[in-house]
Amino acid sequence: MSPAWRVLDTGVREAAENIALNRTLLDALASGEAPPTLRFLRFRPCALLGFHQSAEQELDLEYCRAQGIAVSRRITGGGAIYCDEAQLGWELYVHRRDFGHADLTAISRRICQAAVAGIRALGVDAAFRPRNDIEVDGRKISGTGGIFEGDALLYQGTLLIEFDIERMLRVLKIPAEKLSDKAIASARDRVASLKDLLGAAPALPEIQARLLRAFEREFGVSGVEGTLSGAERLRLERDLAEMDGEAWVRLIERPTGEQPLHEAWMKKSGGLLRVRLRVDAPSGRLKQVWFTGDFFISPRRTVADLEAALRDSALEGLEGRVAAFFEGREVDMFGLSPTDFAGVVRAALDSQPLAPRTLA
Amino acid sequence: MAAQRLAECNGCEFRPELYYDAHYQIWVRQEAGDLLSIGMTDLSQAIAGKILHVRVRRPGTARPSGKPVATIESGKWAGPVPNVFDCVIVEANPAVLDNPGLLNDAPYGAWIARVRPQLGIAEALSHLVTGRAARRGYCERAVREEIYCPHGEGTAE
Repeated sequence: MSPAWRVLDTGVREAAENIALNRTLLDALASGEAPPTLRFLRFRPCALLGFHQSAEQELDLEYCRAQGIAVSRRITGGGAIYCDEAQLGWELYVHRRDFGHADLTAISRRICQAAVAGIRALGVDAAFRPRNDIEVDGRKISGTGGIFEGDALLYQGTLLIEFDIERMLRVLKIPAEKLSDKAIASARDRVASLKDLLGAAPALPEIQARLLRAFEREFGVSGVEGTLSGAERLRLERDLAEMDGEAWVRLIERPTGEQPLHEAWMKKSGGLLRVRLRVDAPSGRLKQVWFTGDFFISPRRTVADLEAALRDSALEGLEGRVAAFFEGREVDMFGLSPTDFAGVVRAALDSQPLAPRTLA
Repeated sequence: MAAQRLAECNGCEFRPELYYDAHYQIWVRQEAGDLLSIGMTDLSQAIAGKILHVRVRRPGTARPSGKPVATIESGKWAGPVPNVFDCVIVEANPAVLDNPGLLNDAPYGAWIARVRPQLGIAEALSHLVTGRAARRGYCERAVREEIYCPHGEGTAE
């Protein structure tokens, strides 16, 4: 008989409660109180920071307040996301020793590949995109992140069943123009939901069953429906006291001025190539890059892949990194060359930062 | 001999003069003024991959044994820099806060935090291992968990 994993479905909850449950379930596993667990969860509308991010840098807090969108901080790494009831969270609480090695990159790849199999079973051509996204033809459908605590691991993702792109653009300070039809269209090139891809969203129980089956197969386990134990409920009360409030959101505060927004464009015979990007000044890294324009490129996903390759990369060596990206890839462009992408990014870096108000 | 030891530890660097926790996640070095420096081992940085964020608790914060002195993030994994004795944070290494990649490039040069042990240096060090016993345990972990350090500089003698 294969080993059992507990399967929890904690339904729709407030952000703070879902995050506190992350801490509770991870600590319960680490202390030997709880078995390995697969949890499904959903969120009331919220913006979730990665553990090391600051709310000021990542979010339009005024908009969140006005719209009643909760703000919280995950205990896992990765970037800020917008969530509401139309995304399904999946989480694995597992022992590192069960993987037989310690390499975190390989562990996240294996977990993501299992999730990919589950999503593919729904009829969507999903694939793992290093480092931690699951995508369909270059469009992200599930972002993921994790935390390790000794031998205990939590790895989680959110699967977009349906997704309000306009709201995401408003909540997150991503370097896209906001609210124009063009901006929304360019965001649609980068994000996809099951409903977009399939025409109609599959029913929640079916999605959960497919994901569960895929994890069972990958890890040779069988899922058994369960509930929180008494000890976990006690832990949850304590963890919620820590995470339900401003202090937890403000745990890390960094000024917005550390991450200036830059923009540049170049007119080529193939059309206009434009870039907006944010730099993390203290670390000298590109934080996020967003290319737009009316140029021809095939496959289209090349742009999103290049953006993913440049995320969190050092400003130094940019040209080499872009050249390496295009090397060995079959990309058709008209009147545009790989060096133009590095060139427009460099031009943006050399330009004066945009004033904060032009973000809107 | 050095080459042989390098192979035993899968290329992960070991420093015999430092102290280590039982799982070789952190190293500890005695400093002047009854302080200890804490850093990540080559094993820990290799497991983590490229480190993008470091956060150290504020100076003056008491950290009981078992509560992390710092957190790191690599790729999309967050995790603790653990602590195995009661201590108070004295300072964070500003060079590491500015450039977390130092933890990958020079794990034994880049201390993360200086701390004052609550019960004195000797008590703190009594929770740690060092020297030949530590080398053995360190290399055993590298082999057991298949940890490779491609950029390790070899074992220092």
